[in-house]
Amino acid sequence: MNFTRRTLLAAASATAFVSAPIAASADGLPRNVRMVIGSTSTGGDTYQNSAIVAEALSEHLGINIKVDAVGASEAFKALNRDSRGSTIMVFHDQSYLGNLYGREGYDDPFANYVVGPTVAINPGNAYLVPANSPYQSIDDILTAAEKGERVRVAIQPGGVSEIGFSALKNAAQVRAPGSEENIVAVNTGSQSDKNQAMWDDLADVINGSIQANEQFTQLEDDDAKGMRFVWITARDTTLAQAPEAGMGNTTRDDMLAYASPETSVTLDGSADFTFDKEFFFLFNPEMDPAIIDQIDSALTEIYAAGEIQERQKASFFIPNFLPSAEANAHLTQKRDTYADVIAAIAGN
Amino acid sequence: MLELITPLFVLLIVGGTMVGIIFGSIPGMTATMAVAVCLPLTYSLGLENGLALLLGLYVGGISGGLVPAILLGIPGTPSSITTTLDGYPMAQKGEGERALKIGIVASLSGGLISLLVLYLFAPALADFAIKFSYVEKFLIILFALTVMAALSSDMLMGIFSGFLGIFIALIGTYDISDGGNGKYRLIPPGTEYWLDGGFSLLPVLIGLFGLAAILEQAELGVPKGHSASDLQVKERSKFSFSIFRGQGTNVVRSSLIGTFVGILPGVGGSAASILSYTNAKTFSKKPENFGKGEPAGIIASESGNNGLTGGALVPLLSLGIPGDSTTALLIGAFTLQGIQVGPLFIGNSPDTWNAMIIAMLIANIAMFAMMYFAIRYFAKVVTVAKHLLFPIILMMCVIGAYTINYGIMFDVWTLLIFGVFGWVATKLRLEIAPFIIGFILGPSAEVYFVKSLESFGDLSIFVTKSWISVVLWLLIIGSVAGSVMLSRKTKTSL
Amino acid sequence: MNDLTKVSIDFERSHLVFPRLIALVLAILLVAIIIRDRQRILNAMPYWRGVFKDMDKTRFFGALGVTLLYFSLMVPVGNIWPNTGRGFLICSIPFVMLVGLLFMHERPIRSVMSLAIVSVVGPTFVWWLFTYPFFLTLP
Repeated sequence: MNFTRRTLLAAASATAFVSAPIAASADGLPRNVRMVIGSTSTGGDTYQNSAIVAEALSEHLGINIKVDAVGASEAFKALNRDSRGSTIMVFHDQSYLGNLYGREGYDDPFANYVVGPTVAINPGNAYLVPANSPYQSIDDILTAAEKGERVRVAIQPGGVSEIGFSALKNAAQVRAPGSEENIVAVNTGSQSDKNQAMWDDLADVINGSIQANEQFTQLEDDDAKGMRFVWITARDTTLAQAPEAGMGNTTRDDMLAYASPETSVTLDGSADFTFDKEFFFLFNPEMDPAIIDQIDSALTEIYAAGEIQERQKASFFIPNFLPSAEANAHLTQKRDTYADVIAAIAGN
Repeated sequence: MLELITPLFVLLIVGGTMVGIIFGSIPGMTATMAVAVCLPLTYSLGLENGLALLLGLYVGGISGGLVPAILLGIPGTPSSITTTLDGYPMAQKGEGERALKIGIVASLSGGLISLLVLYLFAPALADFAIKFSYVEKFLIILFALTVMAALSSDMLMGIFSGFLGIFIALIGTYDISDGGNGKYRLIPPGTEYWLDGGFSLLPVLIGLFGLAAILEQAELGVPKGHSASDLQVKERSKFSFSIFRGQGTNVVRSSLIGTFVGILPGVGGSAASILSYTNAKTFSKKPENFGKGEPAGIIASESGNNGLTGGALVPLLSLGIPGDSTTALLIGAFTLQGIQVGPLFIGNSPDTWNAMIIAMLIANIAMFAMMYFAIRYFAKVVTVAKHLLFPIILMMCVIGAYTINYGIMFDVWTLLIFGVFGWVATKLRLEIAPFIIGFILGPSAEVYFVKSLESFGDLSIFVTKSWISVVLWLLIIGSVAGSVMLSRKTKTSL
Repeated sequence: MNDLTKVSIDFERSHLVFPRLIALVLAILLVAIIIRDRQRILNAMPYWRGVFKDMDKTRFFGALGVTLLYFSLMVPVGNIWPNTGRGFLICSIPFVMLVGLLFMHERPIRSVMSLAIVSVVGPTFVWWLFTYPFFLTLP
């Protein structure tokens, strides 16, 4: 064992010795960059988004960027280990929502990492009911809860999928204190689990997305799999940038009818709650700030050229570039709002 | 429809199948990884051509797993685990080539039968599949777990090993994306940094089967000679299609089981071959031969895991829900092209649907042709000297472990941990096959069991939920009774 | 329905339900094994002594040690040139060579040369394949 430990030490010090000059001489991002993402799926929205951005960045800067779908916990670990800029991370609101909901493996990203530029929004977060549901709208659901009816909502707890549910509870509380207790979570996992919960009659409302559930809203009336949208959480200004044809047979105008202000889930009695799933960069806190500037200015030029927006829109993402400083301010404010929502219903 | 079949289309399928076979044959590389690696290429290829490539990779990747399973005793992919049980003993008897050919023919049958099912019944089957709630899915997993008993040479030790496998699989986080609450459990204090995600299946698998076997060889001083003791292909062991005489039921049943497991979202690919194997053993006239080099075992396992290919596409194309991890990536290929997959897909995009069916058909045929004729070269691998073969296998295992989750070093350490564990376990007479089956199925068993009780709050739900659950209980009882009777029989005959 | 079969599971604690159940089953099985195999368990010490006496210690512990070293060095070496996979390449060549030498019985120059060629060409080819065409991350 001694031998190994000594060798390790020797190797480690050799590493420090050799790599120090390399790091110092590097101007901005190294030639080979690893972009870790908070999702383990290479077919999901985080990967797609990251791949689009990575490709544009590596072309623009003439470097290699490899996207690795290691998942949130491993991505944070990898980011922590590397302050040279050879590891960067892209993730979405889950990074701080996981922390707000107290999930294991999630630190406060604002305190432990540097939050970098935002690049895009996935506007798809939605809530659906079975096609034959008595609830025609969110208003019906809140009214039912007020009357003492139990409304079961299928979500995946601890993040993006739960925040809309928390907002619903909060809205119920604002409307009729106590009624929030009638809105209960059915904790499930993936989208297929949530759909299944609806078909098994274990849930009255499910969390879903425009992309994954739209076709279920277009089925024949007698199809037991049929669903209806009741709420899309995106801001109307976000949806307004979506392609006019929308998705499938649901046009942009149809979508706007399910979003604020037409469908209102109140935040505090006056303003509406909204949630856009935004993708942004995260950096190691000790990384050279010059690298952040480099990424900021590269992205500014890439977005000015306008090609990346077309790619993003083709995959139903809404381009949303904010340089680091603005992104940080915007996301901090967003986090604070949601922290209040979660705190308000925490007593229940 | 014929205009779809361009030379490029065919070339992509054949090329994809070839690359898939290579991925599948390398221990630790999977069909999923092959698809993930090539997914970005499909953006520029367009939808039909992109899918042609990916489906080729899928079919090739699932099939390639049988090569190391049979020749080296290392399952190339989790779904070929039951292939090792009879394939490797055959290879050790010098019947490697024969075993490979049996596996390939079975793979082709499984692939074609499931494709036919996909083509004819996709939407109807998807509607049936959604009748399977947590309860029925738990019973299916439980049924697959009964194979633990069937595989044990010493029933008590075997079942203990199987439960130990389940227990070790539970280490880490109760995964939120499967429906868990995201809390840690069973992690020894101080190891949270490494163990928060638990042990990954693939490194565990190649550690137990690859590294442990090499350690055992090292312990024996790496006896001289080749990996297979007798390479002379004996006259009696020559492959002929007559092996399949009397196996018609086995082939069809296993293919359909594979297809059906594929259709159930979330139940997972490895369950397909395990279930087919359990069934083949339960219904066999000579169940005592299973695990000792019984061709019917290879047939069941391989037609089962290739049956999965068509099955997993059913929920993908008729519900937009992937049937296994590989088809989950296919969704990415669709979204890259801006195409929605959901219940309306087949009706809205008949051309793409037809192209996929044709691609699957060509891929299956290409897989068969390539593997059948490449076998004599594959089989040569056992003639490579051990001092060259073993270090290269070790290196490939490292690559497989490191890349399976896109670059996590702990997965490589997992390989070593379970290599050593496998060596020690064999010495303690723990049984590796039931252990790994417990490890594979443990997490799903947990989610479906706990969620069933969470949703229904009553243990009796497992019997009363539906007629499907009653049928499943009959199968479970049949399988357990079969194993018990068999173990009695072998005991008295000793 | 019967009250006896009723169970209620608190989601917040549901991560412990199954592990406890499995642990219980394991404990029962373990007791059964101890009772049945008590003779064998009592003989554990001589058994293990026998295992270690009969084993080829050089090859067994050598292979284990080289593997341990290989895994330990891969990441630190790779960190010198981040994200290029060179840690894997540089460590794999001597690893294949060493394990190969360890597992050989006679070491005639011809066999050693062919092993040397394999240990350079093998890792290099694999490294190239995974880094360029497959675009995967290696240490």
